[in-house]
Amino acid sequence: MSKHAGGNHRGNAHKKRQPQVAVDEDNPIVQAFRNYSIELTTKHDRHERIVKLSRDITIESKRIIFTLHSIDSRKQNKEKILEEAQKRLQKLIEVNFRAIALELRDQDVYQFRNAYSAGLQEFIEAYTYMEYLSRDDNDESPKSVSDWQALQSVMQYVEDPSKVKDEGASVEEMDVDEEKGGEERQAKKFQFFIDPTEYVLGLSDLTGELMRRCINSLGSGDTDTCMETCSTLQMFYTGYISLNLQRARELWRKITTMRQSVLKAENVCYNVKVRGGEAAIWGSNFDQKLAEDVDEGFY
Amino acid sequence: MTNFVNMDMFSNYQKYIDNEQELRENIRLVVREIEHLAKDAQIKLQIIHSDLSQISGACGSARKLIEACAEKYVKLATLVPPGQYYRYSDHWTYITQRLIFLIALVIYLEAGFLVTRETVAEMLGLKTKPGEGFHLDVEDYLLGILQLASELSRFATNSVTMGDYERPLNISHFIGDLNTGFRLLNLKNDGLRKRFDALKYDVKKIEEVVYDVSIRGLSNKDKDGEQSAAPVE
Repeated sequence: MSKHAGGNHRGNAHKKRQPQVAVDEDNPIVQAFRNYSIELTTKHDRHERIVKLSRDITIESKRIIFTLHSIDSRKQNKEKILEEAQKRLQKLIEVNFRAIALELRDQDVYQFRNAYSAGLQEFIEAYTYMEYLSRDDNDESPKSVSDWQALQSVMQYVEDPSKVKDEGASVEEMDVDEEKGGEERQAKKFQFFIDPTEYVLGLSDLTGELMRRCINSLGSGDTDTCMETCSTLQMFYTGYISLNLQRARELWRKITTMRQSVLKAENVCYNVKVRGGEAAIWGSNFDQKLAEDVDEGFY
Repeated sequence: MTNFVNMDMFSNYQKYIDNEQELRENIRLVVREIEHLAKDAQIKLQIIHSDLSQISGACGSARKLIEACAEKYVKLATLVPPGQYYRYSDHWTYITQRLIFLIALVIYLEAGFLVTRETVAEMLGLKTKPGEGFHLDVEDYLLGILQLASELSRFATNSVTMGDYERPLNISHFIGDLNTGFRLLNLKNDGLRKRFDALKYDVKKIEEVVYDVSIRGLSNKDKDGEQSAAPVE
């Protein structure tokens, strides 16, 4: 009996071949494994769905950053572009992050961290870059970059019972509809959890964008911006190297990249100073946007 | 003019990360205690490969050590904040898998069946569902069981050396069921999949032992008249 079974398994040593004998459903091992299978599949599926949502966030964030780079002091397009970027970022918060938050409700958020980390970091990069560019518009009360608590407060959601209609519609309906469950509904809040470490990693990517802006500004003859971005970069770098961390390989890699960005920006400022803006003058005559073709923003 | 760069953020993050480091240190201390106990249990169980008569004694001492581990897990569970199991789980997944293997081995030696995840969780004082707190991850369970398969293939060989020709047949049957079970899982291309791919070598090894035993007519079962079923290659 056991011999026969043994021979069969040998024949099926290759995974591709299906077992010829029907699975014995009464076998306790089979029964237990059916349950484990369901559990694993549920987890994998959730993971996949989050990865998908995260990928959309990554792509849209990259595009937003690309759009933000097209802000050019010569074209006076800043307000229009910023407004568009804000709208698109808001949409990411309200749609995509909300969807991930729904998937992660009542789950251990750290279990699926790998699935959404890339999208979150890219989003933070886009969001803080937008904040940076919005800043010098109203010089009287310039805002500092949002920290993770501030971002966290933006990613708060209320459950939408009708699911199809948006929040506004359901509020109206609530008055007409019923009193029951009204309080219940209010209690059903959830959020997209922002891990401070993910935030710090995402923010470190912002320095790459600042470097790019610094170089692009040289091209368009805007030397003030060169100096300004460079000093911001230096401050970020100071902040990052002040951190005392263990087991943070990913962050150290980013800090190394950051150092390269700082050096590039400092070199730009050096050139501005030493050549007295020759390069900038040349750049402003040369009516083309520099370095756009090397931008990573496109997919 | 306020700076765009918020230096407070960095000091806040430093505090945050310092707290995390401290907690990790504490977790590591408890995990190390579990590792010692598990190692002792594993050493006790090594005797099965050289002396079959001491199996039940070895299982008894292993059980005591596993019980001691359960106490440590209670301690571990209090350290980990609710909902953050997977933030720190890399510290204990390895040793938990090892313990699952040891428990599964003890249960197999004593009773001859595959321990369920529920029983393992109970023996280690863990929950089975993630929502209930510090739990036994299903992937850890499965990875632990795969370690059992490797150990049993070794045990099959050594049983023959010690003159027990029936045991390899039982083991072969058991591993066959296990193999069937794992085939029901829809595995992704991850660590579990890789480890499962190695199961076929354990199956092969045990089948070779069974083959050697049957072809020489050493097994009693075989003498009952199943010679014709011997694999021909």
